[in-house]
Amino acid sequence: MSDLFIVVGTFALCYAAIIGYAARLHLRRRRVKD
Amino acid sequence: MNRIRILLGTAALAVAVGLWFAFTSPVDRLQGEFSRIVNIHAPFLWVAFLAFGVTALASIMWLVKKTPRWDRLGEASAELGVVFTVTGLFTGMVWGQAVWGRAWDWGDARLATTAVMLFVYLGYLALRGATPDPEMRARRSAILGAVAVVQVPLVYFSVYMFRTLHQTPSIRPDGATMPREMVVALLVNFLAITYLYVALLIARLDVARAEERVAAEADLAGDAVKPPRLTEVEDV
Repeated sequence: MSDLFIVVGTFALCYAAIIGYAARLHLRRRRVKD
Repeated sequence: MNRIRILLGTAALAVAVGLWFAFTSPVDRLQGEFSRIVNIHAPFLWVAFLAFGVTALASIMWLVKKTPRWDRLGEASAELGVVFTVTGLFTGMVWGQAVWGRAWDWGDARLATTAVMLFVYLGYLALRGATPDPEMRARRSAILGAVAVVQVPLVYFSVYMFRTLHQTPSIRPDGATMPREMVVALLVNFLAITYLYVALLIARLDVARAEERVAAEADLAGDAVKPPRLTEVEDV
């Protein structure tokens, strides 16, 4: 069970980083629009 | 903007499908749950290779055509390549710690060449940040972008050239070393993450275009309020 927890955490961290990158793009785009 | 939202939304959906396949496919008997990590590890690094290949192509096109769109594409793709290399290395380290008993080994050819590739592309982004003149920035980064891509085949073939810790690919032209369900899950994730890269690249290019437009407008406004050159004013 703890192995699955580590694997899910790894997936979550990677996709959180990518979502963070996309959110940064969104904020930059909004700043330019304003 | 709507087009970008649709693209990113469908990419999120594709990733969700990939996750479903990754967590419902069978696991390796020895590696257990950790074998699921390959479903994102290999696609992340494939996309990093693709991204650096696109940067090289855009760099060569800039050197030929000298148009800003190629410079924008080179930068956007290199940035994404760095993101996917970092996530690819991280997933590999978690898997390595569980299966090899160590997260990192500088003696391993695949790990060392991938780390060097990451540092070179971080250098590419730093070089861009350190060159304020757009023309000079585009020229310098195009030369580096066109040369740095030699690392991609070096990283890929490192496992064949040096027999160190990292294994050769699990899917080969003569067949796969894993069951069909695992291969299907891996291929679905390859497609989903490649689509995610394309969606993020288009979103990144949209931001770059908008920022350049605003910078150009600011320059024009700056010209309008510049004081007259007094040396050119004739006496009356």
